[in-house]
Amino acid sequence: MNANLLRSLPLVWCLCASSSARADPAGGDKLVIEAGRILTQAGTEIENGVIVIENGRITAIGKADEIKKPWDAPVIGGPDRVAFPGFVEAHTSQGMDRPNENVEVAPFLDVRDSVDPVAFYFEDCLRYGITTINVQHGNDCVIGAQGMIVRPVGLTIEEMVVRPQYGLKLVAAARGGHSRATQMQTLRQTFEGLRRYLEDLVEKERGERGYAEREALFQGKELEGEKKKGRAMEGTAWKVDGLELVPRGAIDEKQAPLLDVVEGRRAAFFYCANAADVANALAIARENGFLAKTTLVIAPACWQAVDIIAEAGTPVVLQGPLVEKRRDPITGEEQETFVPGVLRDKGVDFALSSLDGGPRSLWYQAALAVGLGLEREAAMDAVTKVPAEILGLGNDVGSLEVGKLGNVLLFSGDPLGVTSWVEEAVVEGRKVYDRREDVRNRHLLEGIQPPNTAAAASAEEPKDQDAAAQTRKEKETEETEKKDGDGGKREEKP
Amino acid sequence: MTFPLGSSGILASATILCAALAGARSTALGGAEGGDGARTVALRAGTIHLVEEGRVLEGGATILVQGGKILAVGGDLELPPGAELVDYGPDAVIVPGLVAAYSPYATGNPPDRTASPGLRAVDAFDPYEVYAGALAGGVTTAYVVPAEGRLIAGQGALVKLGGDDPARRIVNDRAALHGAIDASARAVPGYWEPPIPATEDTGIGYAKPQLPGSTMGAIVALEEIVDGIHSREKRAAAEQEYGADALRALVPLIEARVPWRIAAQEPAEIRGLLEFARARRLPVIVDRATAAGEIAPEIAAAGAAVVFHVPYPTNGPSVDHGKGRDDRWPRFDVPVALVEAGVRVAVAGSSPRDLLFFARLAQRGGLSPSAALRSITLTPAELLGGEGRVGSIRPGKDADFCVLNGAPLAEGTSVLATWIDGCAVWSAPEPATHATVIEVEELHVGDGRVLRPGQILLQAGKIVDVGERVSHPRGATVVRGRVCMPGMIDALGHLGLEGSRKVPATDFALQRIVGRAGHISRRVAREGITTVVLSPRGSSNSGAPVMAYRPAAGDFERQIVGDPVALRLKWTEENRLQSGQTIRDLLAKAADYRAKWLEYEKALAAWKPAASAAEAPAKEEDAKKTEGAQSAKEEGAAGADEKAEEKPAEEGKKEEGAKKGDEPKKEDEPKKDSKKKKDKKEGEELEADPITGVWKAEIASAEGREASELRMQLLFATQHGSGPVTGNLRVSAFSESLIEIEGRWDREAKKLILEGLGSAGWVALEGALEGDKLQGRVACGAHSLEFAAERVSKKYAVAKRTERRKEEPQAPEVQKGKPKEPRLDSKLEPVRRAMDGKLSVVVQVDRGDEILACIDAFAARGIRPVLLGAREAHFVASEIAGRVAGVLLSPAILEFDPKRGTDFLAPYAELQNAGISVAFHSEAEEGAVDLPLQAAFAVANGLSPTGALRALTSDAAAMMSIGDRVGRLERGLDGDVLLLDGPPLAPGSSVLRAWVAGEEVKP
Repeated sequence: MNANLLRSLPLVWCLCASSSARADPAGGDKLVIEAGRILTQAGTEIENGVIVIENGRITAIGKADEIKKPWDAPVIGGPDRVAFPGFVEAHTSQGMDRPNENVEVAPFLDVRDSVDPVAFYFEDCLRYGITTINVQHGNDCVIGAQGMIVRPVGLTIEEMVVRPQYGLKLVAAARGGHSRATQMQTLRQTFEGLRRYLEDLVEKERGERGYAEREALFQGKELEGEKKKGRAMEGTAWKVDGLELVPRGAIDEKQAPLLDVVEGRRAAFFYCANAADVANALAIARENGFLAKTTLVIAPACWQAVDIIAEAGTPVVLQGPLVEKRRDPITGEEQETFVPGVLRDKGVDFALSSLDGGPRSLWYQAALAVGLGLEREAAMDAVTKVPAEILGLGNDVGSLEVGKLGNVLLFSGDPLGVTSWVEEAVVEGRKVYDRREDVRNRHLLEGIQPPNTAAAASAEEPKDQDAAAQTRKEKETEETEKKDGDGGKREEKP
Repeated sequence: MTFPLGSSGILASATILCAALAGARSTALGGAEGGDGARTVALRAGTIHLVEEGRVLEGGATILVQGGKILAVGGDLELPPGAELVDYGPDAVIVPGLVAAYSPYATGNPPDRTASPGLRAVDAFDPYEVYAGALAGGVTTAYVVPAEGRLIAGQGALVKLGGDDPARRIVNDRAALHGAIDASARAVPGYWEPPIPATEDTGIGYAKPQLPGSTMGAIVALEEIVDGIHSREKRAAAEQEYGADALRALVPLIEARVPWRIAAQEPAEIRGLLEFARARRLPVIVDRATAAGEIAPEIAAAGAAVVFHVPYPTNGPSVDHGKGRDDRWPRFDVPVALVEAGVRVAVAGSSPRDLLFFARLAQRGGLSPSAALRSITLTPAELLGGEGRVGSIRPGKDADFCVLNGAPLAEGTSVLATWIDGCAVWSAPEPATHATVIEVEELHVGDGRVLRPGQILLQAGKIVDVGERVSHPRGATVVRGRVCMPGMIDALGHLGLEGSRKVPATDFALQRIVGRAGHISRRVAREGITTVVLSPRGSSNSGAPVMAYRPAAGDFERQIVGDPVALRLKWTEENRLQSGQTIRDLLAKAADYRAKWLEYEKALAAWKPAASAAEAPAKEEDAKKTEGAQSAKEEGAAGADEKAEEKPAEEGKKEEGAKKGDEPKKEDEPKKDSKKKKDKKEGEELEADPITGVWKAEIASAEGREASELRMQLLFATQHGSGPVTGNLRVSAFSESLIEIEGRWDREAKKLILEGLGSAGWVALEGALEGDKLQGRVACGAHSLEFAAERVSKKYAVAKRTERRKEEPQAPEVQKGKPKEPRLDSKLEPVRRAMDGKLSVVVQVDRGDEILACIDAFAARGIRPVLLGAREAHFVASEIAGRVAGVLLSPAILEFDPKRGTDFLAPYAELQNAGISVAFHSEAEEGAVDLPLQAAFAVANGLSPTGALRALTSDAAAMMSIGDRVGRLERGLDGDVLLLDGPPLAPGSSVLRAWVAGEEVKP
């Protein structure tokens, strides 16, 4: 009996393991994806290819007859599918309950507290193929909260997190009701305040050794491990001598994120609404030594400052419409500028971003850019590889290569095609979206009324269409008869 | 893929190197091009104001510009090869680009704290923006502030308002420390800074009140701030009150000796400010300075400078200034008081676009124009730290200019173009009706009046205004000269005939032979002859047409002044006995013709149209065609006569397909038919077409149904006898549809048989004509109904055709009683119009007695002719005075009579002195240019100069019936103007420039 039990145990164990593995978002499974075309975004295109994903990463990719598929891996996809890496949203303020805070300088806040895993936005992200999202504070602040990189999978924030406490938002454009001068003054004063604070702290520490630690304990902070150690300041523009005397954990939580930015340890996302803001933003970044870690988030009107952006070498996330329209104040003529074209011509690396949380998503923007004159490769890069590099995930996402995360989209046609859908989406080796099971999508397309929802006019559309067709036919016969003339021999209606 | 490292190191925002941006082009600026290093431009104008030392270059000067900077200025500069020349003409004036000492372009909401020296205007200024309003006012540089209404609002900056390179736009990013101690800065709201986190202990705080509350308080606040910087003891309190940031930001500004530009209006405020600045040894500029005129010596003693805001808000409503005795009303004479006391004054206003106007206002009290110009150019540049780059025209400075169409501070001057960094960033837009203003010392109107001085405004080809001072629309071209006069008129010339001797018919339109302005026409115009009255060489029995036109006009519409304006006749025949006979006959015929027309017009005025729309197409006895013509759809009027009947029959056949909708129209016709028919004589023969027309009948109900209608429209194919009939039928008893029917009419039996297929079945109709009724039966299928139809209309209604039909050469339809229009005789038309006074008649006649006979003949018809030739007119001058429109004497100005020796006769003078208009004519083509010389010769021999001028201009025009278009410089007439360098028609004067129809004639 024991032997039987023992023999049966592994089976039971396997079953348990597999069921729990399904619940584990980090994968651990194997997955094989077959596709009629694989657009790897790594320079190659594979016909009738196969991708093998194990433990969340791609272990093999190539033609079907060249790749050895593991026998125990489920297979998804088919010959009519096109595989593409998941899109990367380089900067967004959606998915939170409120994108902006009231306080204008708030680096101590974290968007993690605000991100809502069940927001429709994340559902839409899967539907439109966005698998990596950088959530940052909104544009109505001076210095906003710390952001994070998430994946649109999971019901808790822990399941969603890819990189926590990633990046800090700064805004050079004037907040509502303020002027650009006030904005710049606040930015400058904040960094000057940081410097003064650190100098003050060092001075106090020099005056009384252990002062900072005592203060921290007094405020209820626990200094353990890394936080107890001090470290010399690593800034490139300005330094405060003696900072190694102060334990890092003792630095005020309001100033610590700024210090990270100045030391180049944290990415900075700087929003500019006008061309004049760009010079200001770059000045602040240079003065405080974090130009190398700065990404500019620009509105279309900033195209005029593209020269200084190119000279500074910062990458750019284009937020908003792709075409900027303005009227020449002297001649009154309307001028339209295709902004990605300008950026491409000047050699600025740029990523596109979704226009809204709905259908005007990344892939729509890429297709629109191609329609307006951008080359296909540049447009595709702008939604995959460039944002991956901006977010520092160049080794993990952005293309389908061995070793990268298994974020794969299966399209029903060309990714930029008007009639293509994301049929299936795989995030880190787990299939997380299937359009056949997408209830909302089906409701929209098949006209099925979801239960307990208001009966809209959509329920009567089929009948109306017939009636409309009939009246149309009748009108046509009337008109043809009129044209026959001869005093209008009108036949009596049946 | 890695990103290149950005350049590290501190770079002030204002000094981004231009080299990195070479070749940058912005497409947003209209008309601007990049100021490349190699590009050389030369600007030329009549006058250039250098402003430094008050120097002005006149009589034509050039500025050489290279790489956006001024290279050289001078009277005669040699242009380097490859230089682009822009010449604004001898009447243009170039001044340095204006510097607005105040502008609203970077102003934002005021900061929370009362002292915010860290707020910088250069951050808020948008260097990519095109400031079109300021550029249109000639302002190239402006001072911008970050905010207003605070004790210390921030750091103002001096910036340029145009130019491609955003970095070059910043002239001085720390031009002044901007603040105010006047009433505007005293209403500061409280300052609230929320504590983070807001806990039970700290609460959320409250808004602490801020200084200042009074003038004294404001001065005290300033003192506290400055003292807090310098002395340790006071620092803590100052930091507490104003914020540590404020003091910290102030330190570098004080070290750099940045001037304090503080607004102070009342004398007490200004004094307090000056005392504060003197005690703390700070450079100060008094801003606004409304009452500075009263304490000018004190300001001079303190060594302060002033920016005076002209207290008039342009383009806005009137504002009340207060009724108290202490209330200040605007005073504009502050700058002159300050300048006389030796204070440096910059003039500013609320809107940079109107800076030139504010400078004009600042001249009140006697400020010289050069000082006023300086106050809007060099002085603000000096005060705000920009004199190295802007403010005057000097080699090495930026090439910023403002091109004007007159003296900068003259009342009507406006901006023609604005240049920044060697590019024209704004030019006055060409309005659809470009305006030209001619300013002269002597303006000869043409009818004898002279205006000294005079100005004339031309717009859209017409003279809009003439007077001593006329309006100067913005951007108008202004031309200055000595004398101007109306364009001269060649009262009878041949320019345009190209040597042809043919005499065209009387109704020939001469405008068909003239072509576009060629070089000959332009040369003739530039000599002064702008209008030519073109006549063929010779005349004909019924007269040759004469047209007036301007050969040099730009387009055809402006070329023709009148066609025809006159009729040329000849009185003298070869057989002298018959002289004038043709003319007398012509006049007689024309008189009859005219009489007919007058009769017609009188009758037409008296005749009232009939009240009812249509009358029955009654049979008419007379041959006139009258019909109930209200069915205007009928073309080729169908009448009762036989001829007309044919046409409808033919038309009808063609038109079978297009009759829908006519039936209801037909119904509209009143039905007086039957009664009329009864008027016919009894026993008359059956009329020729008894069938054609519209028949209508009421059918009694056959089976208890309601009475229904029967309507037929029939067309008889032949005229007499029997023949086929076609048409349409509707029997409402059967169905509502209209069916086509065919059948026969039997004349002998008077029977009509029709058949057709309807929606209800086959319909057959049988009828017999009895009297004027058609009676019979109509059957459809089983039903059969009796009817008795009456003819409603005799016409077969035909739909209006869309294609054009050949017009009938006969007179159009005339309604009954409407007077008939007489036939238009194009040969007699000119004479008729001459009798009405709308046309002139030029008669060639020589001898005295013939002249008298001719004049009598014409006078009998009410015409005052123009005599051509008229060698002996001066003998009968007294008799013909008042009875001729004028005389075109032969070019022989002098008459020799051997018996009189050297006592030459001057017929022109004699005639004019007798009160008869004379005019000069050339009877040549381009020989017309001799006319002014002829006139001068006549003047030398007795003709009055005024009279000669009149003869060439207004009298000639009046004679030729074009006096309402040309000949004088008066409002509403066409813009034909000549600019001379001396009195008109003086032998020593010549025509410098000419305008035809408002446009200058270029060679």
